[in-house]
Amino acid sequence: MHRNFRKWIFYVFLCFGVLYVKLGALSSVVALGANIICNKIPGLAPRQRAICQSRPDAIIVIGEGAQMGIDECQHQFRFGRWNCSALGEKTVFGQELRVGSREAAFTYAITAAGVAHAVTAACSQGNLSNCGCDREKQGYYNQAEGWKWGGCSADVRYGIDFSRRFVDAREIKKNARRLMNLHNNEAGRKVLEDRMKLECKCHGVSGSCTTKTCWTTLPKFREVGHLLKEKYNAAVQVEVVRASRLRQPTFLRIKQLRSYQKPMETDLVYIEKSPNYCEEDAATGSVGTQGRLCNRTSPGADGCDTMCCGRGYNTHQYTKVWQCNCKFHWCCFVKCNTCSERTEVFTCK
Amino acid sequence: MGVGRSARGRGGAASGVLLALAAALLAAGSASEYDYVSFQSDIGSYQSGRFYTKPPQCVDIPVDLRLCHNVGYKKMVLPNLLEHETMAEVKQQASSWVPLLNKNCHMGTQVFLCSLFAPVCLDRPIYPCRWLCEAVRDSCEPVMQFFGFYWPEMLKCDKFPEGDVCIAMTPPNTTEASKPQGTTVCPPCDNELKSEAIIEHLCASEFALRMKIKEVKKENGDKKIVPKKKKPLKLGPIKKKELKRLVLFLKNGADCPCHQLDNLSHNFLIMGRKVKSQYLLTAIHKWDKKNKEFKNFMKRMKNHECPTFQSVFK
Repeated sequence: MHRNFRKWIFYVFLCFGVLYVKLGALSSVVALGANIICNKIPGLAPRQRAICQSRPDAIIVIGEGAQMGIDECQHQFRFGRWNCSALGEKTVFGQELRVGSREAAFTYAITAAGVAHAVTAACSQGNLSNCGCDREKQGYYNQAEGWKWGGCSADVRYGIDFSRRFVDAREIKKNARRLMNLHNNEAGRKVLEDRMKLECKCHGVSGSCTTKTCWTTLPKFREVGHLLKEKYNAAVQVEVVRASRLRQPTFLRIKQLRSYQKPMETDLVYIEKSPNYCEEDAATGSVGTQGRLCNRTSPGADGCDTMCCGRGYNTHQYTKVWQCNCKFHWCCFVKCNTCSERTEVFTCK
Repeated sequence: MGVGRSARGRGGAASGVLLALAAALLAAGSASEYDYVSFQSDIGSYQSGRFYTKPPQCVDIPVDLRLCHNVGYKKMVLPNLLEHETMAEVKQQASSWVPLLNKNCHMGTQVFLCSLFAPVCLDRPIYPCRWLCEAVRDSCEPVMQFFGFYWPEMLKCDKFPEGDVCIAMTPPNTTEASKPQGTTVCPPCDNELKSEAIIEHLCASEFALRMKIKEVKKENGDKKIVPKKKKPLKLGPIKKKELKRLVLFLKNGADCPCHQLDNLSHNFLIMGRKVKSQYLLTAIHKWDKKNKEFKNFMKRMKNHECPTFQSVFK
């Protein structure tokens, strides 16, 4: 699962590397190469494949963004039974979760945010053609607060638009799940946009703030992960409403309420209850908790009783080694001792 | 900042970068489930600011980074620990600290400043010790105040480590050799007559004038200097209207000696900066065409360009 995706990333990088080395600057041949590569990437929807072919430079960034989303998802759920893994069809964005659960909601939101974040960052670093710093913010002076726009303000609007075009392009079927996925994608991007921050440098004489330059910058992606995790905890169950006799679902409404109230744009929404994720189940995409690390003494979600669903756990002993008592010596190196300790870890049966 | 679109060539460079990325990902992917991190991995890497800033690289300390080129090591990490991202930015910001270095207010000043402006190349960032920061601040801020400066936010001592892994030249328990308590010369008057030092002062000052002095008075604890004739070399914040009625202040300098002012019949090179509505004197030299160093300064001044912040953003 996780390792397979990394192999895919390696494969793409290797292909691009070989492409650049062997084919050089012949643009028509490069386009042909991109075409071949785009066709080999598993799980791309037709419109995504078209974007891949027209913007081969962006596909690597998209892959990195999707991977960042998956990594963050695995971090946020590292102590839960569900740890952002799933059985099922492999795609660029990891395996798709079959159940329209709140876990699926989180996965879609974090992945869309990850792609937007990575594209915006790549623009700021000058790693993508057709985009760069936010030009609107160059050189203008903020009279009231006494600082000046400068540097490279991250153009998050470009990143979000790109994420919307690419990630949303995989939603083809006209069903309730599509509306759910589109909503959650947008929620992830909205959380990212809301958390853009102002960063400033004081560059007056002797570091004083008599001269100050500011720019907008992306939040750390962990912050986005934390916020979406909170929204996951407060996720809203919805159902579709058909506004006409045509059987296409047209919008989502909150299920518990009698009115036709819609979810807020940053709410995560789900249409089905979650499985318990205890056992491997291909029908729901659950991987199960067998072999998972757990904490023997914890009463929480990471505790062995909860994590292992009452099946019990195995004990493994090992020696933990780390550097300790580090000191800096002039000039210039750091010297450390090595400490070790016999300890044990527990895994679910 | 200095982040812009790089003209990335096709071919070797691109594939090298891509293959390096691929190798890095492969290495990460092959980590075992029980691969527990050691101390070296525990500390976050150099990305203290924006996560997507340029990756840190080890570069030579250039000769014209005057603050740090003789600090005791030859290579530094860029971006540095003050989030200066280009060498131009480092030089621009460091240039205003060189005059303070020349004041010799604390023996650890250079080590402290350079641990941040030009951090030593190690596999993780090493910050200066908090006690070193506090010692330098306590000794040097009184001198800085003569020039209207206070200890800046970016050097606040609270953020530096108290633990073992921190930079200090001397062991913490060594008693500082106290300086001889002689008469304290006014810091703006205590200057080395060397062309390089004068150039550095010129860059660190907001304005520079050639002028004659009509009189010197005491006023509210300052020395008030009333000019007679003035010729601007660098106007900075002074408007031409204000130039006529210009009055300079030697901050907190009512009672400290300033030998340059003993004889007012000379022309003077005066450098300073504006703090609120006062023009403070930051350096004074006798305008002595016969002096070899001063003549050298005049020659160099014509061609020398001070680093400006605007150039950093181009």
